[in-house]
Amino acid sequence: MSKLKTSHIVETLVWLTIVAVFYVYSFEFGQEIEIYKFGATGWPRFILGFLLLVTLGNLLHLYKKGSEAQHGRVGITDQDEEISYDGIGSIQKILAILALPLIFAWSLKPVGFYSATPVFIALTILLLGEKRIKWVLGITLFIYFLLILLFMVILNAPLPQGNISPFYDFSAFMLTLNTKLHQSLNF
Amino acid sequence: MIDNFIAGSIALFGDPFSIGIFIFGVIGGMLFGAIPGVSMLTLAAILLPFTANLEPAQGVMPFAVIYCTGTYGGAITAILFNIPGAPENAPTAFDGYPMTCKGQSGKAVGAAVLCSAIGGVSSAIIMMAATEPLANWAISNIGPPEIFALVFFGLAVASSVGGRTMWKGWMSVLLGLLIATIGQDPVGGINRYNFGFSDLAAGIAFVPAIMGFFAVSEIFVQAEKKATGMYKAPKLSLDFPTFLELWSYKIAVLRSMLVGFFCGILPGIGATLAAFMGYGEAVRWSKNKESFGKGNLEGVISSETANNAATGAAMIPLLALGLPGGAMTALMVGVFQMHDLEPGPMVFYNSPELIWIVFAAMFYANLSILFIGLIETKTILYLLKIPFQFLAPMILLLASIGSYIGRGLVLDVIIMFGAGIMGFLLRRSGYSIPGIVLGIILGKIGEQNFAQGMQMVHYDVLEYLSRPICLILIIAGTLTILTGVYKALSYSLKS
Repeated sequence: MSKLKTSHIVETLVWLTIVAVFYVYSFEFGQEIEIYKFGATGWPRFILGFLLLVTLGNLLHLYKKGSEAQHGRVGITDQDEEISYDGIGSIQKILAILALPLIFAWSLKPVGFYSATPVFIALTILLLGEKRIKWVLGITLFIYFLLILLFMVILNAPLPQGNISPFYDFSAFMLTLNTKLHQSLNF
Repeated sequence: MIDNFIAGSIALFGDPFSIGIFIFGVIGGMLFGAIPGVSMLTLAAILLPFTANLEPAQGVMPFAVIYCTGTYGGAITAILFNIPGAPENAPTAFDGYPMTCKGQSGKAVGAAVLCSAIGGVSSAIIMMAATEPLANWAISNIGPPEIFALVFFGLAVASSVGGRTMWKGWMSVLLGLLIATIGQDPVGGINRYNFGFSDLAAGIAFVPAIMGFFAVSEIFVQAEKKATGMYKAPKLSLDFPTFLELWSYKIAVLRSMLVGFFCGILPGIGATLAAFMGYGEAVRWSKNKESFGKGNLEGVISSETANNAATGAAMIPLLALGLPGGAMTALMVGVFQMHDLEPGPMVFYNSPELIWIVFAAMFYANLSILFIGLIETKTILYLLKIPFQFLAPMILLLASIGSYIGRGLVLDVIIMFGAGIMGFLLRRSGYSIPGIVLGIILGKIGEQNFAQGMQMVHYDVLEYLSRPICLILIIAGTLTILTGVYKALSYSLKS
């Protein structure tokens, strides 16, 4: 009897789409390389062919055994804990946790590291369930200054400064402070 | 050798500035390896411009030291948080993290400290004694076909561990290989799969991909548990393993040393494959295979001995042939070039003092793991006491900085978080994250050496297989695959 669930079909379709998209896209760079018989497409197409075969093997396993782990496999670090969402609230929460770092990364170019970071820290702490506002603010400031001390003051690492005012101005202010500190300490 | 070693030691410890750099490298490597979210590569990338004005020996030495201590440091995060500090620590997490969940973190970390030191020191001694003969052997016996064959065998081993099924193990490895095809092809330099992003022409950088798949995905997994009320804080324990307990694993240590050294000596392979193969061999020879992945100390011991044994060995192709064995040694090539030196056979004649200072520094760095590592470890174990909601943003930010610093591209930070989300979803479905990462790392090396090998033998497969080392590795890899397919099919078809 089939143990195939909708999630298994979606999983297989995603893999097949990856294979199809990468295969079709490989024609974009299909020109010959004079010194190499297999060209630039040979290696990726071999991988795609192999991937197609194992995807079908995986489908067979899903059909017969569902999500069951194969007997005797080693090194499975993620235990088979079934995560159950107790309502729309926890789904929204995990979606927000997944989206927040991406929004932070997108904001680095316009807003810059120095302005985006404290907001990101505070929101992450809040999303992860901390409700004591004093702790949220305290830990946000602590992490922010620790990172500034390590990467800006000690290591002088170049971090994104942003390109929109007033964020860019704030980054410039921070860097000026750092330069003055270095000069005063003869660092 | 002894005279040279003594001269190198005197040069290293005779100058206060060199001592300072050495200590900075030891502590910096351990800390950056052991802080979840950043790695020894982050520190090395930040330090690179600062070393330009130093003496060549002082410029090169800290990177060699960071390589040794950082490789050990990455084991701490793998064991405590299931976040390998570097890809070479990924197999350490297979058994190290389950040990932490069972309240045996001290035992796992203690074993990692000791085995890293044993693997590293023995490797450093062999490196000092045998760089020249080993390099000569490698020149005459190891070519692109052998390197490709080893990559093939390594990928076959990687597919057999980690995933919920053999199919998922292979799908993970193949996804990694596919990601590695993004960027220019290694033969003709033709752009592949850049999807209109010019920044992707250089390919997907290792560091953001590694940080995303390991660190960010783990944060998401734990955050999901927190959101659904299933989060359990890891247990702190400071009970280190006894000498007798470790002595019972002497064969595993010896085997992993040999595996690690062999993998390390081959150009382009490095410590990552060493760790996977050390772990794979431990499973293969064990009478208690079922216990691996559930908190078997032998898993931690095998992986950590092998990856540190590869550090010294990886210096042999770097120094004798000018070929890097991994990301860190590739960075060292840049350091050599910055000081107008070209790593390769001539460096032994042109700059023997530099070579012996580096050798001596690596020896003492590995030795210091044993002493400083134990003290540092006791402190770092207390990281487990920090509530997750405070640790998570710190790790995410450190990973962001680590990803950004390498190339100065915000795209790398986006890729890292994208990889984190992908890793989170794949882990939920039972795919192997270490398999993906190994695929990414070995993809380019495998393709390049396959192409060169094929050109060498004029596309004659029989000639390819007439090379003994190549034949043995290809047969071993094929047997591993066929056994895996047989087991997977018979399991799937069994009612």
